[in-house]
Amino acid sequence: MSSTRSGRDRRRPGLVWLFPLPALALSGFLFLYPVLQSFRYALTDWDGYSASYRDIGPANLVRLATGDDLFHHAAANTFRLTAAVVLVQTALALLLALLLVRTTPMSVLLRALFFLPAVLSSVSVAFVWRFVYEPGGGLLDTALRAVGLGGVQPLYLGDPGHAVYWLALTQVWFHAGQMTVVFVAGLQAIPREYHEAAALDGAGRLARFRHVTWPLLAPAAAIVAAYTTVQSFKAFDLVLGLGGNPPGPGLDLLSTRIYTTFSDDRFGYAAAESLVFMAFVLLLTWVQRRALGGGQP
Amino acid sequence: MNALDRRSALRLLAGTGLALTAAACAGPGGGPDAPRAADPSSGPATSGPVKGTVSFAHWRAEDKAVLARLTAAFSRLHPGTDVRQDVTPSADYQSTALRRIRGARSGDLFTAFRGAQFQQLVKAGVYAPLTGTPVLRRYQDALTAPGAQGGVQYGLPYQLVFNTPLANTDALDRAGHTAAPRDWDGFLQLLDDLKAKGYTPLAWPGGDAANAGQLLNTMVMNNLPEPDAFAGIETGRHRVTDDWFLTTLRQYAQLRPYLQPRAAASDADATLRLFAQGRAGLLATGSFQTAAARALGARFPVDLVAPITTAAGRARYEGVFNATFILGVNNASSVQPAAYALLEFLSEPRNAAAYADGTGQHVTVAGVEYTNPDLKALAPWLTRRTLLAPRFQFLDLDIRSAVENATVAVVRGTDPHQAAEEAQRVIDQKRA
Amino acid sequence: MTSRALRAACLAAAAAAVVLPLLVVGFGALKTLPQLFAHPLAPPLHPTLDNYRRAVGEGGLGPAFAHSLAVTGGAVLLTLALAVPAAFFCARVPGRASWAVFAVLVAGLAVPAQAAVVPQYVLFDRLGLTDSLTGLVLADTVATLPTAVFLLGGFLRGVPGELYEAAALDGAGPVRSLVSVALPLSRPALATTAVFLCVMDWNDLLYPLLFVRTPGARTLPLALLDFQGEFLTDYPVLFAGVAVSSLPVVAAYVLLQRHFVAGLTAGAVRG
Repeated sequence: MSSTRSGRDRRRPGLVWLFPLPALALSGFLFLYPVLQSFRYALTDWDGYSASYRDIGPANLVRLATGDDLFHHAAANTFRLTAAVVLVQTALALLLALLLVRTTPMSVLLRALFFLPAVLSSVSVAFVWRFVYEPGGGLLDTALRAVGLGGVQPLYLGDPGHAVYWLALTQVWFHAGQMTVVFVAGLQAIPREYHEAAALDGAGRLARFRHVTWPLLAPAAAIVAAYTTVQSFKAFDLVLGLGGNPPGPGLDLLSTRIYTTFSDDRFGYAAAESLVFMAFVLLLTWVQRRALGGGQP
Repeated sequence: MNALDRRSALRLLAGTGLALTAAACAGPGGGPDAPRAADPSSGPATSGPVKGTVSFAHWRAEDKAVLARLTAAFSRLHPGTDVRQDVTPSADYQSTALRRIRGARSGDLFTAFRGAQFQQLVKAGVYAPLTGTPVLRRYQDALTAPGAQGGVQYGLPYQLVFNTPLANTDALDRAGHTAAPRDWDGFLQLLDDLKAKGYTPLAWPGGDAANAGQLLNTMVMNNLPEPDAFAGIETGRHRVTDDWFLTTLRQYAQLRPYLQPRAAASDADATLRLFAQGRAGLLATGSFQTAAARALGARFPVDLVAPITTAAGRARYEGVFNATFILGVNNASSVQPAAYALLEFLSEPRNAAAYADGTGQHVTVAGVEYTNPDLKALAPWLTRRTLLAPRFQFLDLDIRSAVENATVAVVRGTDPHQAAEEAQRVIDQKRA
Repeated sequence: MTSRALRAACLAAAAAAVVLPLLVVGFGALKTLPQLFAHPLAPPLHPTLDNYRRAVGEGGLGPAFAHSLAVTGGAVLLTLALAVPAAFFCARVPGRASWAVFAVLVAGLAVPAQAAVVPQYVLFDRLGLTDSLTGLVLADTVATLPTAVFLLGGFLRGVPGELYEAAALDGAGPVRSLVSVALPLSRPALATTAVFLCVMDWNDLLYPLLFVRTPGARTLPLALLDFQGEFLTDYPVLFAGVAVSSLPVVAAYVLLQRHFVAGLTAGAVRG
């Protein structure tokens, strides 16, 4: 019954060339083509609904670079958020991984628990954290009062100077467990004998971490840092859920700025913003490859 | 064979890339992006079979239940019709209505905010103009202007709200104020006396962009008593570094001690709760929150009290109103007669009254008798000297945010001068 | 001893930080707003299902749930249907052409979705794919395809060539060696990839936000985001919505934990 099919199959090894075509066609038409079109849109002042538009050359990009405080502000916020999350999340994930590297039932359970937030939707996480940050009756205020710090009263997301750091905290809660798992895998790949040898040499716990664990953990750390960077840089849903739609100035990121410009029906300008955004992501990825990949062949 | 295949595949890949690039260079406009309806200047089909499913697109989630009762009655009156409410949160509706409505997949009958959105929708040609249709006669002439442009009536403002602070008159009585203050000193005195009685004098949702700006309406109405003060900021006729706006910002700074703690971070619900629990004297949003305050258990009588920012006798306006929720019939609707019939139905005084009483909002329909006690209590405001809300004159949301954020920054402690300079920079950039 | 105590304290603090907010959601969804504000962490003394009723009824979570299921199911199946043969091609065929195909397909990993959204919106609108579940399936598929090709390609490259050669001696062409050699071997990789795709598609907000206008195509994250306008910060109702939309993923996570961890981690460390 399958002899005709397999027969035809056998006679046409070239059939394999058809395999990638559907995927190429779909992503070419619905993704690569739009990306290329962004370049075209970015040179116009199209409003998204009029039949006509003007070609304005690189005017959008010039204005983005030289005369748009809101965009610069959003870029600064995005970089601050990314830096904060990368530092705190990587450090925390590493600490938790060191504490949970041994495979005991308790460690396994805790790893699973810390991982849990990563499966939730950003909007859900945002709603949970709105209540955490609610001034007055929220969870953090309640916690601060419980430990006698009721007088601190942070403005949380309402403080434009620090709102992104509160956002960073939520992001860390969201994904630190996921990164812990990556570190645990990295730690477990380090042969036990290395530690034993170092211990025999009389190395203390800290010295062993510095000279044995850390160098061998570099690949895992690189992965964590790279992933965290791009993920925080692209944060979008979480901000809309936490900061409202559109978010206020303290929480305005590049991703939300593009969305606001798009909503304001400035399609040409939004396309220009999205190109700059893409350039930043590519640049960050490249810099990271250079910085972290330096030691590897 | 394989090599041949590979070469042809590479060529195919390269060719596709070139084609994509070429296609990508085609301009963005034209095609289906042009308005879909034939003639944007023709009115709605008012005759014809009243049939089909009418999508009613709006942003008043809190009115859903009342409107559901009304539309059910409409369907009983016109068998074969069905009304579906497409409700979107107001901030989203503000920014995406055009995309939702154009092409009429949503919003055979739809609402628009006054100002920016209305003008954008007119420009995009989605209205079937109502000039000359019988439904116009149902409305109070003086209140339909926000739905007209260039002599054409595109939509009908349905709801009438007062963007003027709500007052708990029990609290004001207790603080020894039975009459509204007539000047800025009087207003500060009122706040002082409320504070002395243990109230939060003025609850202000500074952390909620959509509602923080409501106070700005009454704060500027007498500092620059022009009907289009904020439109002037967008055209460049006025600057936020001008005296009248700097004065306004300095007055915001004077309000600091009278707001609830962390006011710059409070959302509209937190301040509403504060007010509904009787712990605040004034709520700096407007009459549209009366029903919500009642739902949260507020029992005290309410009135409106605006900050009068000038010296006694110099104030031109007592408060601010807005005729928003502009109803319009979609040009591209395939069930236009039914959409128009629904508009007529909602415009009958009996049904408008049912809407008003059920939602706690006044309406612009003529000859409506209110039975809701709050609406009755605030009805005298319908004939007072009130200004059409200046805040909704902004066409550009970034400029509007810049101006409103300046007030929040001042409350948080920024120097008024500096806040004004920063806002003006953004305005200049977005005007360019 | 002290270091063990310190370790225990650190872990307990971290566990509390994860559990407490989730506990507040679980309990809070069964309370009234004043009860929630009075004692956020206390178990509900008089549990009410009213919040769930409002979240599902007024919030329209029922249809949104169905839409999310349809979009996620459709997108995961379509992505795998496209990615498996493409990845097989890239793994089996040597040379520059194959490399180029792989590069084009995974290029999307480096390009953020936002770079394409403006023209994508126009394109989908022209094709009549906005406000439709089909449009969402296609948009999600295109967005997740690069990761799927990357993960499956990596795995299929590891399949020893001898297995294919043995099959070829039996007379198998490309279709049969894909179906009877590659697929059975890659079951774990397929499961891992599928789980990753499920989580991405189930939680996606960007495309529904851009494309959907009516409740007819609203998915769960969008319906949930719309709660902001409808219930403002009526937390118990928000929490009920969070619970309803998270329940399937959390349940699946508890049952298929290993695949989740593998899938999300593999998805994360791609590239």
